[in-house]
Amino acid sequence: MSDDDLGTLFDKARAQSPKVPADLMQRVMRDAARVQQAGQTGAGWRGWVALLGGARGVSGLITATCVGFWIGVAPPQALPDFGALILGQATADSAEEDISLFGWDIEEG
Amino acid sequence: MASAAIGSHTMIDALRGRACFARPRTVPTVQMTTDDTDAEAELLQRYGAGDATAARLLSTRVLPRIYAHAFRVLGDRAEAEDVAQDAMMRLWRVAPEWRKGEAKVTTWLYRVTANLCTDRLRKRRYSPLEDVAEPIDPSPSAAAQLQNAARTDALQQALQALPDRQRQAVVLRHIEGLANPEIAAILDVGVEAVESLTARGKRALRTALKDQHAALGYEGE
Repeated sequence: MSDDDLGTLFDKARAQSPKVPADLMQRVMRDAARVQQAGQTGAGWRGWVALLGGARGVSGLITATCVGFWIGVAPPQALPDFGALILGQATADSAEEDISLFGWDIEEG
Repeated sequence: MASAAIGSHTMIDALRGRACFARPRTVPTVQMTTDDTDAEAELLQRYGAGDATAARLLSTRVLPRIYAHAFRVLGDRAEAEDVAQDAMMRLWRVAPEWRKGEAKVTTWLYRVTANLCTDRLRKRRYSPLEDVAEPIDPSPSAAAQLQNAARTDALQQALQALPDRQRQAVVLRHIEGLANPEIAAILDVGVEAVESLTARGKRALRTALKDQHAALGYEGE
């Protein structure tokens, strides 16, 4: 058999390409719908992530949340202790400290 | 051009039809040269974004190709259907993570299909030639129909006798009409290896079909 004959066979095989059975197409469509529906949850949280600015936005939000939480747990001394102020636990102490720090003794000479 | 490198074992497992699913970014990339490719990737992204009609449009474009490939490689309609359905299922699952421009949808699908076929062929203990299906879409006249059927049957049987890789390469090159770099990406080999596989495959086919030359009606054409 020559190359040409073989080429002819290939051409005929290409022309007689097997057609997709209708039920196969239906099964594939059902799979597609099922995966798409199952992925709605995924699409949902992906949508939220996109709304928040993507991965960069979400990472910034997480960082800010963690920093805020830590400041709440262990506030720096330079910041007022809002928790304590709100609960009314350290108001007197704070006032005393303020008085001593404002330098009354210096003014008195 | 094709890059044969594969990024991770995850991808290899996915392409071999195992537990996980491939991420498109690790598929060997084949340079996109047609608008069709962009259209397929766009349809996939639309499906991933929730567009229900995109699935049918995309399936209409790619399913016939992978089904035909699976059928020619496996020589069995039922198995070809299973493989095509499985490959499409994997495509639906990777859709949300598909990155347009980084991989060609058809290359990815052919690759998954080729590996699923290889897995099935490995599981076979023998190759039952009697399972080869009858050809479809005959020519107008009854005589030509029979002649074409005999020729296509003979080719299919000769293809079944080839080693798996040779068969896949010959089908992809000479029947599906893909370029060697794309076949290299699909079979995960170099372009030279594809040339070698197709050359040896054609030689084996010529030898196998030589005896049937007259019976297939080539005498006098």
